[in-house]
Amino acid sequence: MLELPALEIERHELGNGLRVVLHRDDSLPLVAVNLWYHAGSKNERPGKTGFAHLFEHMLFQGSVNVPDNDHFRLVQQVGGVANGSTWYDRTNYFETLPAGSLELALWLESDRMGFLLPAMTQEKLDKQREVVINERRQRVDNQPYGRASERLNELLFPDQHPYGWPVIGYMEDIEAATLDDVRTFFSTYYAPNNAVLTLAGDFDPGKALDLVQSYFGGFPAAPDAPAVERVANVRSGDPCETLEDAIQLSRSYIAYRIPPFGKPAWYAADLLAAVLTGGKASRLYRDLVYERELAQSIVAHALPTEMEGSFHIVATAKPDVAIEELESEVLLHIANIAESGPSDDELARAKNKILTAHFNELQTLDRRADLLSLFTTYFDAPEDLHKEAIILQSIQLRDVQDVAQTYLVKSQRARLRVVAKGAAG
Amino acid sequence: MTSVDRSQPPRIPPARPVPFPAFRKKRLESGVTLYAVEAKRTPLVIAQVLMPGGGHYDPVHRRGLAAFTADLLEEGTHEHSSTEIADLVESIGGSLTTGAGWNAASATVSLLSVHAERGLQLLIEVCSQPAFDAAEVERLRRERLADILRRLDQPATLARAAFSRAVYGDSVYGSLLVGGEGSIRALQREEIVRFFENHSAVADTFVLVVGDTTELELEDTLDATFARRSKTPPALPQIHPRQLDSREIVIVNRPDAAQTELCIGHASAPHNHSDRTILTVMNTLLGGKFTSRINLNLRERNGFTYGASTGFAPRLGPGPFVASTAVANDVAGAAAGEILAEIERLREEEASEEELSDTVSYLQGVFAYGLQTHAGVLHRLHSLAVFDLPDDYYDTYLAGLPAITTEEIQRVAQEHLCPDQSVIVAVGPVAELQPQLEGLGELSVVEPASLLL
Repeated sequence: MLELPALEIERHELGNGLRVVLHRDDSLPLVAVNLWYHAGSKNERPGKTGFAHLFEHMLFQGSVNVPDNDHFRLVQQVGGVANGSTWYDRTNYFETLPAGSLELALWLESDRMGFLLPAMTQEKLDKQREVVINERRQRVDNQPYGRASERLNELLFPDQHPYGWPVIGYMEDIEAATLDDVRTFFSTYYAPNNAVLTLAGDFDPGKALDLVQSYFGGFPAAPDAPAVERVANVRSGDPCETLEDAIQLSRSYIAYRIPPFGKPAWYAADLLAAVLTGGKASRLYRDLVYERELAQSIVAHALPTEMEGSFHIVATAKPDVAIEELESEVLLHIANIAESGPSDDELARAKNKILTAHFNELQTLDRRADLLSLFTTYFDAPEDLHKEAIILQSIQLRDVQDVAQTYLVKSQRARLRVVAKGAAG
Repeated sequence: MTSVDRSQPPRIPPARPVPFPAFRKKRLESGVTLYAVEAKRTPLVIAQVLMPGGGHYDPVHRRGLAAFTADLLEEGTHEHSSTEIADLVESIGGSLTTGAGWNAASATVSLLSVHAERGLQLLIEVCSQPAFDAAEVERLRRERLADILRRLDQPATLARAAFSRAVYGDSVYGSLLVGGEGSIRALQREEIVRFFENHSAVADTFVLVVGDTTELELEDTLDATFARRSKTPPALPQIHPRQLDSREIVIVNRPDAAQTELCIGHASAPHNHSDRTILTVMNTLLGGKFTSRINLNLRERNGFTYGASTGFAPRLGPGPFVASTAVANDVAGAAAGEILAEIERLREEEASEEELSDTVSYLQGVFAYGLQTHAGVLHRLHSLAVFDLPDDYYDTYLAGLPAITTEEIQRVAQEHLCPDQSVIVAVGPVAELQPQLEGLGELSVVEPASLLL
């Protein structure tokens, strides 16, 4: 078994509930600052989707002491890079800067945690709304197959399930968002007790903790944000729909609900995805892409979502291949692996692939910081960052087979086919 | 708890630039030049072989030949078939990819350092004795044709195809690297074999390695296994962009497009121009970072787009300068106008000292940021090799950045940016776009299918 590098990790908690993780690494004079708020699109409501993401944009528009757009300007001015992202379960904000600029990042992040609302205006909201509308068009509406994932999720997570609407939100909801909606979202979720701050890189932990205390310690805790109840017994009824789109190659989407991220079964599903489509030696690639040339490409992955996970296989057909045929071949493969499991070689290969990817990811401070924030937010255990590699290595053939048998079944499933316009019979 | 004054940003000491790591460079007996960076922080190794067979050598009726040839390197050698190579590499959790850009062909292996020797052997094998098996040629041909077909779905690719054709005409940069339907249908196995012999199995080959290589007998392995490469690569072809006296507008008609893709620009100097560092700074200020003039204008001030950027493509020949963005259909004309206006402004007025120093700090920081990964370091070695740059290039680059003046920024903008002889490509609904754009220059309309050929 490969030895994993020891990471220096400290975990602290301020009086107001802000959890702070410190990971020291002075290989380069850089520091990564990463802040997770435990709020995402799952905290929205139907009719008010896309708020968490629109809100993420608003966070960069300035706060009481930080003039408009100065977040990026100040970070880039000192030689740093910054960004944020919104997801179903969380929103994160991060920057990597020269080590000497740590205090700048803490000033910026704390100012927008504590003093955002007074600086928020209708004009800023309207402007960012335009940006987000363009983002939606660029990433979804003007992309081939752009709307497929959205529809698939609606089918997989029906009946107003929090994972059923897209993170970016529906166009009509984005257009209708009001300043009050945005203020309410902020007050409810953007509190120190709903956040994790991670610092990774070249800094003195004692001094850094003092600075964090100075900048963040004065903010009051907020009442606990309303929890999103895990929906029990989701029933999707094995839907199968066909969408038309401006595309040349038809595509099959097959998705299943699986246990949430962090469970042993989720890691087994992650391995299953690697067995099925991880690389040119993988089962589905070898058979459907290389040997029989039914598919132009095929990708499977397990989505690491918090309330429950999902498993997706996306297969793009070669020209003149009927999408029903490709879909049924994929389903046949799933049935095979449910019946017989992977081989020893397949399992070993999948484990090695994921392990190499794990090390690749840990090279940068910002990925390490983000993972530390993740494991603290979901499990209150930053050191679990390494548990992943250990869990993966301990998974057996039987575990992978069990996932296929138990979860890759009709009652957990939704399917979508995307075909060229005029082709849906 | 110390109290803090939030009313202004904390004072920050200037960052010291982070130097490029030390590397070993050696020309080996076999004619191969090795660059190696010893990096033990993580148990990974990345190694790349660079050969001269880049897309600029594509013959006029065989656009896409270089990329096709390079993609086949991983699909079988005289010792191992395509599937055997994939099995070998992936069983140890590694990845091996081959391909060609405009400047060079490459093969790259990335894996845990405990397997580095195996990875290196396979890497050299695919570069020295590819089989170009007939069945693999046909398989790749079918895959490539399907990919070319998909271009019709991809507005950004259509924009680049139309842009390249308008700027470079029939010269090799006028096509896409993957070629077109005609050339890919017609190409023959013999052409592939010959292209490899004449353009890749030649001297001027480099091997770049980053990682924990203490267990590897790098030099001995390379000497022993790489066949002697004495043939020199052919001279680079002369690449002649079209001569433009005024602006040309090309609309690629996509009636149902939800947005318009814009590409605005022209041919520019080869990467090895003496102004390159100043051009890098100028470009970053104009459109190379979030707080650039063009992005702040189009995205934050006007709300036209999710993002807009500019860039000089780093090529051995006269590569393009291009501004690109995706905008709402009803503001395409206004957006194009703003881009041209920002380019004009940079030529007409000197930038401020603050704008310049902010840009320089950003570039220094981004340089350091990229050194965190083996792939990032490899990318820098790649540039040294491909562009034949001196060993101390990055030291000179970092030291030279703060010395650049606002006069020099304006000078290179005047000498290298030509807004009045630009091509403007817009991919979207012609009915909506034509009235907005026809005032900007001579206009033509093309159908997307014409860009597949």
